[in-house]
Amino acid sequence: MEVLLGIAGKDFVILAASKAAMRGPTVLKAEDDKTRQLNKHTVMAFSGESGDTVQFAEYIQANAALYSMRNDTELSPSAVANFVRGELARSLRSRSPYTVNLLLGGIDPVTEKPHLYWVDYLASLAPLPYAAHGYAQYYCLSILDKHHHPDCSLEEGLALLTLCTDELKRRLPIDYKGMLVKVVTKDGVREIPVDNDKVVRSA
Amino acid sequence: MSNPFDINGGACVAMVGKDCVAIACDLRLGMQSLTISNNFPKIFNYAPSTYLGLTGLATDVNTVSDLFRYKVNMYRLREERDIAPQTLANLVSSSLYEKRFGPYFVSPVIAGINPTTGKPFICGFDSIGCIDFAKDFIVSGTASDQLFGTCEGLWEPDLAPEDLFETISQALLSAVDRDALSGWGAQVYIIEKDKVTQRLLKGRQD
Amino acid sequence: MTSLMGNHSGTIGYSFSEPTSANVKQHSFYPYTDNGGSTLGITGADFAILAGDTRSTSGYNINSRMVPKVFKIGGDDETGEGANIILSVVGFAADGNALKEKLDTMVRMYKYQHGKSMSVGACAQRLSTILYEKRFFPYYVHAILAGLDEEGVGALYSYDPVGSYEREQCRAAGAASSLIMPFLDNQVNSKNQYIPGSGEGHALVPKKAEPLDKETATKLVKDAFTSAVERHIEVGDGLQLVIVTREGIEEVFHALKQD
Repeated sequence: MEVLLGIAGKDFVILAASKAAMRGPTVLKAEDDKTRQLNKHTVMAFSGESGDTVQFAEYIQANAALYSMRNDTELSPSAVANFVRGELARSLRSRSPYTVNLLLGGIDPVTEKPHLYWVDYLASLAPLPYAAHGYAQYYCLSILDKHHHPDCSLEEGLALLTLCTDELKRRLPIDYKGMLVKVVTKDGVREIPVDNDKVVRSA
Repeated sequence: MSNPFDINGGACVAMVGKDCVAIACDLRLGMQSLTISNNFPKIFNYAPSTYLGLTGLATDVNTVSDLFRYKVNMYRLREERDIAPQTLANLVSSSLYEKRFGPYFVSPVIAGINPTTGKPFICGFDSIGCIDFAKDFIVSGTASDQLFGTCEGLWEPDLAPEDLFETISQALLSAVDRDALSGWGAQVYIIEKDKVTQRLLKGRQD
Repeated sequence: MTSLMGNHSGTIGYSFSEPTSANVKQHSFYPYTDNGGSTLGITGADFAILAGDTRSTSGYNINSRMVPKVFKIGGDDETGEGANIILSVVGFAADGNALKEKLDTMVRMYKYQHGKSMSVGACAQRLSTILYEKRFFPYYVHAILAGLDEEGVGALYSYDPVGSYEREQCRAAGAASSLIMPFLDNQVNSKNQYIPGSGEGHALVPKKAEPLDKETATKLVKDAFTSAVERHIEVGDGLQLVIVTREGIEEVFHALKQD
């Protein structure tokens, strides 16, 4: 019941991940961070097999940092996305593949255009205006289909995210302990405080 | 259900006309019955008049298209000329057969015009590189049965570029409408000598 | 051997346990066979066509090149004269024949008891009931029923093996249905076709599906089958065309490729 959501707008990308770390039906931690910043303008949110997730994310994080240090420049979001996909695809045909689903959001430092990439554990890569992983797909994609438009403002984007998280609170049988929300703009990555204690009543 | 060729869905078709060829694909990317994207093109360009269509497992569509971009770029640097569709066909075949016992789950289709002879060329492959040279049309993907039906019914020899566009578009759209895993728009390329026309078809959005 | 068997769970190495563990064969009976082939129906303003290929297969074998799949329902026992309803069945031929016989009997009994012919609509509902009666041991067939309705308009009903049915303009069934059906959508119901110059993008006006005349429909049927023969190994040999009009039922055979 891990939730991963991504919304790209006019000049920003929102990535949101549930804060519960779960093992079977047990919530082990309520303040889990399922995101990693890869460089100044790119973040990655991940879900999947516990152990694989952080291991893979931090491997990517380290390699992205190494590239930035060596070349004194940052990889664009599309370059990072294709690197991540390549590593996951290589792992897929190895003896023990990583079982990790990813959302990758960033602003291209040159064009200042937002980019959101959806990557599943098979390493299928798709650039999308909005994306989700896990059960969130079944509840949120239809909401996003109806309400998203590509040049929406950050305020509209966050309102859209609330629409999605409200539906998840209403319909998911397990409390996912709220969302951690990160926003990428041309100024970099920042966490947006959200009211996770809001109670949503079922219909 | 667990057949890797049927997880993501997708369809591709190539046709020969008079001094022209056409290649078209749908735009859906799905995971079983859930549609993830309606903008996932499956045709890739490797030279001014050489195109490769890839259907099957999406991760391998990505991997294989990237692999051939690398290989064709290397070819162009070494040879200082563009790759011909026939040459790409043999490159695809041998590259896929290299993975004979752990294949890429893709069904490639090539369409192009030979830059030296000016003759139209199409061909298709199985996932381990067996080439299917055809004089009329090649189909691939989850809607291949439907495409065989529509192409066999609509195609005729020596179609002019505009008529070929109409034929391949009707064949593809009608075929994907009878396949739950394909559709959500289509992309069509009409390749003539020294001219390529790309068109986007909306199609049914369900 | 006995010492080797000691490792198996449940066998402690008795000598008499050997014969039972060796050469154990399980026999089973599967009551269905797929006899391949394809059928297709198209209707118009004053006619209905049912067609089917005449090949009968089991696996890669051809049982016969002349096994018709379209039958006259409710006519004379031998000649089929006096019938105004036709039925095509594709799938398991034995079930198809049993189904045809049963429906034929029903329709003839109706005529004897009521002194009038059964309407296609009534016959369609009766066929659905017959199929659903065997809900848990179905007739393994895709049936298509055709005739003229009370207004004299072509009527066609298609069925799944357990009796769900629907009236349609056209339908393909059987082995090559996935090849033929999208072609029919395009050519009979004008799907994906627009009126040229009627607008840009969403303003384009879709082409209305006009009822076909008999000649055009017959041509489409022949085209559909010659195409299916090219790409499907279970379809071929002969084409049986049965056409219902106000004048009666006309039946013709055409040759198809035998490869």
